[in-house]
Amino acid sequence: MTARAAGGRREGALGERVVRLGIALAIAFGGVALGAGYWQVLRADDLAHDPSDAGVIAATQNAVRGRILDRDGHVLATNRRGTGGALYRVYADQSLSAPLGYASSLYGSAGLEAADASELLGLGGDDPLARALAKFRTPSPRGDDLRTSLSLALQELAVRLLGNDRGAVVALDPRTGDVLALASTPTFDASGIANPATSRAAFTEALDDPGQPLLDRATQGLYVPGSAFKIVTAIAGFASGAIDAATSFPQQPGDEITGLLVDGFRVVDGHHLFTGSEVLDFSRATEVSCNIWYALAGLRSGGAGMDAAARRLGFGAPIPFDLPTAVSQLTNGGGPLPGGFADDVELANAAYGQGEVLVTPLQMALVAATVANGGLEPRPRLVTAFVSPSGAVSAVPTGTLGRVLGAPDAATIAGAMVQAVEGVDGQKFTAGAQVAGVTVAGKTGTAQLGGSGEPNSWFIGFAPAEAPTIALAVIVEHGGSGGARAAPLAGDLLRAYFAAQP
Amino acid sequence: MTQVDLPGFPRPVARPRELGLLLAMAGCLVLGSLSLGSTQAGGLALAQPAELAIYLGALAAMHLALVVAGRRVDEVLLPVVGLLGGIGLLLAERLPQDLVVQRVGPLTLGLASLQLIWLVLAFAVGAAAAIAVRSDRWLRLYKYTWAAFGLGLLLLTFVFGRDVNGSRLTLDVGPVSWQPSELLKVILVVFFAAYLAENRVQLADARVRVAGPLTLPPAPYLLPAALMLALALGIVVIQRDLGAALLFFSVFLCLFYLASGSKVDVVIGIVLFVAGFIVLALVFAHVRERVANWLDPWADPLGAGYQTIQALHAFARGGLLGTGLGAGLPMVDGHLPIPAVQTDFPLAALGEELGMAGVVAILACYLVVVARGLRIAAGAADDVRALLAAGLALVIGVQAIIIAGGNLKLIPLTGITLPFISYGGSSLLVNGLIVGLLLALSDRGPAPPAAPRRARRVRQDRS
Amino acid sequence: MDPLTLTLWVIRLAFLAALYAFLALVARAVLRDIRAASRDPAGALGRLVVVASARTPAVGSAFLLDAVATLGRDLGSSVVLEDSFASARHAVLTFRGRGWYVEDLGSTNGTLVNGEPVTGARSLGFGDEVQIGETRMRLERGIR
Repeated sequence: MTARAAGGRREGALGERVVRLGIALAIAFGGVALGAGYWQVLRADDLAHDPSDAGVIAATQNAVRGRILDRDGHVLATNRRGTGGALYRVYADQSLSAPLGYASSLYGSAGLEAADASELLGLGGDDPLARALAKFRTPSPRGDDLRTSLSLALQELAVRLLGNDRGAVVALDPRTGDVLALASTPTFDASGIANPATSRAAFTEALDDPGQPLLDRATQGLYVPGSAFKIVTAIAGFASGAIDAATSFPQQPGDEITGLLVDGFRVVDGHHLFTGSEVLDFSRATEVSCNIWYALAGLRSGGAGMDAAARRLGFGAPIPFDLPTAVSQLTNGGGPLPGGFADDVELANAAYGQGEVLVTPLQMALVAATVANGGLEPRPRLVTAFVSPSGAVSAVPTGTLGRVLGAPDAATIAGAMVQAVEGVDGQKFTAGAQVAGVTVAGKTGTAQLGGSGEPNSWFIGFAPAEAPTIALAVIVEHGGSGGARAAPLAGDLLRAYFAAQP
Repeated sequence: MTQVDLPGFPRPVARPRELGLLLAMAGCLVLGSLSLGSTQAGGLALAQPAELAIYLGALAAMHLALVVAGRRVDEVLLPVVGLLGGIGLLLAERLPQDLVVQRVGPLTLGLASLQLIWLVLAFAVGAAAAIAVRSDRWLRLYKYTWAAFGLGLLLLTFVFGRDVNGSRLTLDVGPVSWQPSELLKVILVVFFAAYLAENRVQLADARVRVAGPLTLPPAPYLLPAALMLALALGIVVIQRDLGAALLFFSVFLCLFYLASGSKVDVVIGIVLFVAGFIVLALVFAHVRERVANWLDPWADPLGAGYQTIQALHAFARGGLLGTGLGAGLPMVDGHLPIPAVQTDFPLAALGEELGMAGVVAILACYLVVVARGLRIAAGAADDVRALLAAGLALVIGVQAIIIAGGNLKLIPLTGITLPFISYGGSSLLVNGLIVGLLLALSDRGPAPPAAPRRARRVRQDRS
Repeated sequence: MDPLTLTLWVIRLAFLAALYAFLALVARAVLRDIRAASRDPAGALGRLVVVASARTPAVGSAFLLDAVATLGRDLGSSVVLEDSFASARHAVLTFRGRGWYVEDLGSTNGTLVNGEPVTGARSLGFGDEVQIGETRMRLERGIR
C-alpha cells in the first residue's frame, strides 16, 4: 500500500489530470452540441421541407392547399370538398396541366403543386421570418395562395391553337421574365387525377397515352431547333466579334449551288434560290435563312465562341426556374474541338441548327427575350407573389440571368429578325407571324429529323419590335416547315395578346 | 467513507442546496408536464399529474433518506439526475403508451407506467447504495473476482442471449428481459479503477523506453491494456455491439490517462483502436454496413438508412426552440415517424419537441454529472476511490456522448441507451446504482463536531 | 393568433427557460463548491508525519488530515496502520473549533500522546507526538 493519506485531498498531479480530462469531455459535449446545431439550424430547412419529410407528408394529408391565381386574379386552382369531407384540387382549365401539374392524395404532386408545396401547405416557405411566424400558428389550416404570371386567356388559346398536334408554346415578358403562357400538348386531365373518385382512371389514362401528356414539353422537351437556332449563332458571332452587320462571304453564292465543302462534307441550302448570286450580309442572310452564310459564320466564331455564348444564354445547365428544366446542349460533347464539337462538320451543322443541338422551348423563348431586352437575359419566373391567408403579400423579385450581348449588337439582330418577318423576302417564310399594326420580329425554323417524318416546325420572336412586351417560342412536332404551323400559331397568339391590351 | 462512531454520529444533516435544486427541478418538470398536457388536451392541463407526483415523491424520499442517514454527500447529482429522469418520464408520457406493454397480474402497464416503476426502483437502488456502501474493501480485495464475474456475464449473454436488431445484448429471465451488458459496465469500471490505481506507480514512473522519446509502461502492466483492446474489438465482432465496445474502451483510456498521466499512451490507444476498427470494417460485412450507413444513410433511404434519416428529419423539424412537447413527431398513417424511438432515438424525439435549446440543456446536464464525478475524484481519499468515481461518472457521460453522436450522425449508430431518458429497466437500474455509488464516494465524512464547552482550560500550544 | 396558441407558446418557452434557470443554479452551486475547495486546499488543517514505525508507513512520510481522521488497521480508516499492536479502529483525530483533539476508540493497547496514555478527548498541539503500537507520528501544521 502506498504511503498516502486516506483522509486528505488529491495531490496536484491527479488534480491537474482531472481538470484536463474534464476539459476534454467538455469539448466532446460541445462538439455534439455543434452537431445538433448543424442539423437543427443549418440544415433544418432543406430537411424539413423535403417532400419525404414526415411533417410535410402529414401536412399534405391534413392541410388545405392555397389557391393558384393568374396575373389578372383569375383562380386557376382551388379546393373542393368531396364525399367524406376530404378536400381535393380542382383546376380552371385542362390547358393549365403543364405549368400547374396536379396534387393528388394517391399520386403525390407534380408541376407547381409539387415545386411550391411547402408554401401551398402553409409550411412557411424559405423566408426565415415567415417560417418563424408560421410556427406561431398551430398546424396552419390554410396555406399561401400563389399569384402567377400566367394569363389564363393566353394559355387556353395556346393550347387550342396547338390542337391535336404535340408541341409547346412558351410566352414571356422580356422585360421582367414573367411567363405569360407555358403550354404543352397533349394536356392531361389534372382535375381528374386530383379528384379521388376519378384519380386512378385519369392517371392511368395519362400514363398510357402514347402522346406522353405528363411530360412538360415546354420545360423538359428537348428538340432539334433548326434555323431558329441561327439567332444563337448570330449572338455568338457578334459577342465574339467574329461577325458584324456587314459581314459577308464572297464564296457564299457559289456554294449555294455546289454546296459548301467542309472537311469533305457538303453543307447544302437551296431554299432561297431567288437570291441568285447576291452576296448576303447579316440582315439578308437572316431574312432568307441562309444555311451557307450561317455555317461560315459559325466556323468563324469557332467552337469556343459558340460555346461561350451558349453558356451565357443558359445552355449546359438547368435554367433557374420555378419548375424543373432539362438541359439544352450544343453538342453531345466529348469532341476534341473547343466547345466539345467532334469536328468542323459538326460545328458547321450546329451553326444552322442541326448537328447534335438540342433545345428546350423555354431556352429558345429566353433567346428571343434576350434579343428583345437589349442583350440582357431576363430570369424567367412563374410565381410572382405568395399571399398568406391573413393577406400578407411577399413578392418574388424579378431578376436577370446576365448580360449576354451588348445593346447595339442586340439591336442589330433585332433588326434582322424584323426583316425575317416583315421583309419582302422574309414574308415568303414567315408571313403567318405578322400582326396588323404591330411590328413583329422573329425567326422560323424547320428542324430536319432524319428519317421520313415531317420536320419540327419552330418559331421564335417578340413584338412590338421597337419596345417588346412579349417574346415567345413555338414548336409543333412534325408540323412541317416553320412557316407552315409555328409562325401562323405565333401570329394568332400575338394578335389575341395585343387585342386584349388596353 | 469512514466508520466512526463518534458520540452523536450519525445524525441527520440538512441538505439545503440539494433541496433548493430539487425544488427548481420540480418546477421545471411541472412546467414540462403543463406544456405536454396542455398541448394534448387543447386547454390548460397537467399531463399525468399522478405519475409526476409519484416521481417527485420518490425523489423527495431519496432526499429525506440522505438527510436522515446524515451522509454528507454531493448535493448536485441527485437534482440533475432527477431532471434527466423527469424528462425521460415526460417523453414516455408523450409517446403512444402501447409501444411497450407488460401485464402484471390484473394490470396492463403501458410505456409511461413502466418507465415510472423502473425510475422509482432505480432511485431506491441509488439511495440504498448511497447510504449503505461505506467502505471499499469489497472492491480492493476482490477485484479479480469482479473481473471474472463480468466476463462470465458477457459469456452468458453471448451463449444464451437473443438477437435484437443485430446485436446480442438481451437475456431473458422469466418474464423480464434485461441487458447484462449494462451491469458489465459498472463491473469493468470497478475492476479498472482498482487495477489501475494499484499499479499507478508502475504505469506512471517505471516506464520503458521504446524508441526515442517514446516511453511505454513495462510489459506486465501493458498486458491488461492490450487485453482490454482485444476485448473491445472482440465485442464489436462477436456481439455486434459497437456502442459497448466504444464505451468500455473510452472509459478505460480516460482512467488510464488519469492513472499514468501519459498523453502518449492515450494517443497510441486511440490510434490502435481506430486501426483495429478499420481492419474489422474491411473484414466483416456487418461492420462495413454500419459504417456505410453512417457515412451516407440516403444511399438506402427505405432500408438501413431509414432510422437515421428519420431522426435527422426530426431534429430539423425541431429547429431552435422545438415544436413543443406533444406537438412534434407527426404521425404518418398512424405510425410514429421514427422506429424504436423510446430506446434508440429519444434524443431525436426530444430534439424535435424541445429544439436545440432543449438538446443543449440535456447535454449540459450530462456534462454536470461528469463534472461532479470528476470533482468527487479530485477530492477522493485515495487513488482507487478517485478512479472509481471518475470511471462511474465517465460511464454515464461517455454513454451520453456516444448515443447523442449516433443520433446526430456524428458517429455510427449504436444500440446503447441514453442514461435516465431511454426506456429500459436494466439501464435505469444500473444508472441508479452508479449514481448511488458516486454519492457514496463523495462522502465528506462526518461534520467536524462543535468545539467542547470546556475549552477555557487552554493548553499551551507548542507552535 | 388565438389565445390558446399564445398560451401554449408561453408555456413552451417557460419550460425551456426553467431548464436553463435550473442549469444556472447548478452552475452557481458547482462554482461555489470549487471556490470553497480552493480556499481550503489540501492539508491546511494539519498533517501527521511518521517519526518511527515498524515496517510501514515509511518514516518521514506525511498524512494530510481532514477535520476528522481515523487511525487503525481497518482499511476504511483515514490513516491505515499495519501495526500488529494497532486495533482495527484504534483512535480518531478531530479538529474542533480552533484546535486538534485525539480520542482513543476503545483499542486493545491504548494510545499515547507524548508518552502519556490518552483518556477521553485529549487536546493536541502542533509538535505533539501520537503513538499507536510501534508507530509514532507527530502532528504538524498544514502546508499550503
